[in-house]
Amino acid sequence: MTTLIVIDLPPYGSWTGREALDMTFSLAAFDQPAAMLFLGAGVNWLCKGQAAEAVGQKSVEKNLSAAALFGVEQILVDTRACAKYGLETGDLLPGTTPAESISETLGQYSRVVFAG
Amino acid sequence: MPQSLSYTLVITGAPWATQAPQTALSLAQALLKAGHRIDRVFLYGDGVHLASALSAPPSDEQHWPRLWSEFLSGNNIAAVACIASALRRGIVDETEQARYELTANNLRAPFEIAGLGEWVEGNLKSDRVLYFHGAH
Repeated sequence: MTTLIVIDLPPYGSWTGREALDMTFSLAAFDQPAAMLFLGAGVNWLCKGQAAEAVGQKSVEKNLSAAALFGVEQILVDTRACAKYGLETGDLLPGTTPAESISETLGQYSRVVFAG
Repeated sequence: MPQSLSYTLVITGAPWATQAPQTALSLAQALLKAGHRIDRVFLYGDGVHLASALSAPPSDEQHWPRLWSEFLSGNNIAAVACIASALRRGIVDETEQARYELTANNLRAPFEIAGLGEWVEGNLKSDRVLYFHGAH
């Protein structure tokens, strides 16, 4: 049974999203199927070319690029939020899947974990 | 008789910063009363502050770490603080104190420190996994 981890917070300014990412990788490490959905401000996680060092942080891009390698099944991205933040497909990290309807996407998973 | 279910409770909101530990405790008490089981309580993120033995709120306020530890001990329920979350936030047991050569330890019994694998196990074993987040 795939667990969907939902991140709706921007990648910097709070540690919560990173801890949700750790949860995802931990499921994958134990061979448990996991997928991720980036919603709202969370879509900024998937933006290419983040200059995190400018705010004294490590970029989340590297961690996310490793998701497929760790066995995370799918990285879904809220298309409406992408439009809101001016992100086009070419701006996003490779390997993301657009999610048009969030309610439909959430409905496909019986285990959903929102980043706290 | 309604079906009895097993639960894992995940608390990510800190006491006194959020209502998460209070809400979770009320639900935990109600679950047991209704004949359900709690497999494990897992503290994650800021929720690990609930496992501090050093919280000292004013005496006319609820002491959430103490109330939780009494509930856990009284009902023989396992409770784990995520090691990565705990170490970042200065919640350590004797083992971690020694490992990192720290000056003190402050983990409140019966909480234990362990990895996210305990949460993964909860996902596998419990019928339901419920999350108690903070303000977000």
